Amino acid sequence: MNIIEVTNLSHRFSDGTIGIEGITLSIQEGEFVVIAGRNGSGKTTFLRHLNGLLLPDTGAVRLGGVSVSRDIPRARQMVGMVFQDADSQIVGETVFDDVAFGPENLCLNECEVKRRVIKSLEVVDLIDIADQRPHLLSGGEKRRLAVAGILAMEPRILVFDEPFSDLDYPGVRQLLHQTLLLHKAGHTILIATHDLEKVIAHADRLLIISDGKVVMDNAPEMIIKDVEAFGVREPCASRLGMEIESWLN
Amino acid sequence: MAELTAFHFRPGTSLLHTLDVRFKILSFVLISISSFKAYPSALSVLTLVIFYAILISCLPFKSILKELRYFFVLLVFIFIVRAMFTSASPVVDFKESAVAWQGIYDGALICWRLLIVVLFGLIFVSTTRPSDIRTAVEWFLMPFPFIPGKRVATMMSLIMRFVPLILDQARETIDAQRSRGVENRKNPVYRLIKLIIPLMIRTFKKADKLAVAMEARCYSEKRTNKALLSAKSDWITLFGVICLSILLSIIDT
Amino acid sequence: MNTNHSIQLRKTAYASLFAALTAAGAYLSIPIGPVPIVLQNLFIFLAGLLLGSRMGLASVGVYLLAGACGFPVFAGGTGGIGRLLGPTGGYLFGYLPAVYIIGLITEKTGRHAAFDVIAMCCGSVVIYACGLSWLKLLTGMTLAKTLIVGMYPFILGDALKIAAAIPIAKALRPIMRIKD
Repeated sequence: MNIIEVTNLSHRFSDGTIGIEGITLSIQEGEFVVIAGRNGSGKTTFLRHLNGLLLPDTGAVRLGGVSVSRDIPRARQMVGMVFQDADSQIVGETVFDDVAFGPENLCLNECEVKRRVIKSLEVVDLIDIADQRPHLLSGGEKRRLAVAGILAMEPRILVFDEPFSDLDYPGVRQLLHQTLLLHKAGHTILIATHDLEKVIAHADRLLIISDGKVVMDNAPEMIIKDVEAFGVREPCASRLGMEIESWLN
Repeated sequence: MAELTAFHFRPGTSLLHTLDVRFKILSFVLISISSFKAYPSALSVLTLVIFYAILISCLPFKSILKELRYFFVLLVFIFIVRAMFTSASPVVDFKESAVAWQGIYDGALICWRLLIVVLFGLIFVSTTRPSDIRTAVEWFLMPFPFIPGKRVATMMSLIMRFVPLILDQARETIDAQRSRGVENRKNPVYRLIKLIIPLMIRTFKKADKLAVAMEARCYSEKRTNKALLSAKSDWITLFGVICLSILLSIIDT
Repeated sequence: MNTNHSIQLRKTAYASLFAALTAAGAYLSIPIGPVPIVLQNLFIFLAGLLLGSRMGLASVGVYLLAGACGFPVFAGGTGGIGRLLGPTGGYLFGYLPAVYIIGLITEKTGRHAAFDVIAMCCGSVVIYACGLSWLKLLTGMTLAKTLIVGMYPFILGDALKIAAAIPIAKALRPIMRIKD
């Protein structure tokens, strides 16, 4: 079943520059998709259409058959978005309060909010520091807190925008590990990055965006040799003719 | 810098932690007001109350005192200013020392009051979840239809989120500029401008991103209402505090 | 991003940011001569110039309310109603009318630099009027002594801050404009 259907999507910014142009694609439930492209290619603009942070000039995005622009709250609840800068995504004064922010916006009752917060914090392994103040957390912990804040809204699709930037090696591994667990649990995963190295071993599908258009869309092993033309570095192992290994090994 | 403030919530299970936050705020305000014009007899009583509160709240007081060291510097400063600038009592001949004695008494009194008020504030903040304080503020603002309580509560949590971000950013900007020799420029206006403009541009971008992230998490002013429940112990505490305030005003007259 | 809702949200974020800057301003100082210049009232000036009267008032109002509730937003990392009622509380309360007046003048005069200076001078006068009268009332000092303690040491710093606020406001106005 297609959970995301994008037809002929275009967006122009108010200053006239083109963000994305004529994107048509569909993503199946449970897929693990990596979206790559150089800075400014339109990755973030595309992702922001998935939960209605940006609305299309032409074309449409459908989630499970319903257009995003028709029901934005549903889209935001269904598509959880983890932003590049975890620090400016955290709202609450404590870890617990921050995760509760989303469910509280959904007007859930207090018991349900609490249940969801505890569950989400357990998934990302932050339950022991629920009363900590967020700005005292490490970079990796902040990113995981951002993920927990999204999980508490019980989304079906998880969108990550450059999730591994600024993370040290253990931080990358832990986040990757948890992302894979979430994928196994049935979430559809979309990761936007300009650095394929850390994540491509796990992807089912690779999309390359350049100048606002999808220029390649296939299984990673089919196109990985050709990505450098679009400003994305081919992973080291692939250059040396070896099989790409997971960062978790 | 940001890590140094002693004023933050410390989880616990004591009586002070479990009291209804509305009653705590009311008691806190009452005690602040009564200590504000108090004289040594009343201040001694309040000091005892503070010791009692610290005892039952199980707070790590030694480390808190250490974190309050900047406040003590402020106290010393206030004390010196007061001691130097109070009018001499006209009866005494030794002008210089008369100024000093009256001033020292006044200065000590003011510092004592301030210390008590700040310690009560510290105990209040240390034993109360910030989210509960916000809920209580919303509750107190309910009778004012023209003030959007939910928005005020959200703003308060955003303030507490932004302050450490700003201080970290400021430290980074100051260090970056010092490593490029800004200290050789003596013009204070120049240095102010060079510090504030990048600091504010960066923090405004952060605020923009935060607004987008809040939108992505379905932010609206229609959100879960937190229930506040008062128990018998809350009323007893409030009654106790009211009696104490009356007692204190009697002691002094 | 083009809905009313997100504009409202952004305004809320900006007003909170200024309140946070005011709070952080109590910790930030630039050493000049013997007395360090504390940046707190610079941010009050800027809140008036950049946010305008209404949002500026909301920003400062929530700042004071947060302080009154015990959040550590006042100088020395303290908070509480005691600080508002204490000897320096008048200055804090003075921020409220000051930011409104600065915002009002700059809005009515089309954000012209010369009028901005006047606006900030008016704002300072209001802050001192509130601060000094409260200080005098509480401590019973004579007017001359109140001025020596509560105003003269800070005037030079205030003049510098007003001088700095003009180019800062000029640089930030285009960024701050709430885009449609």
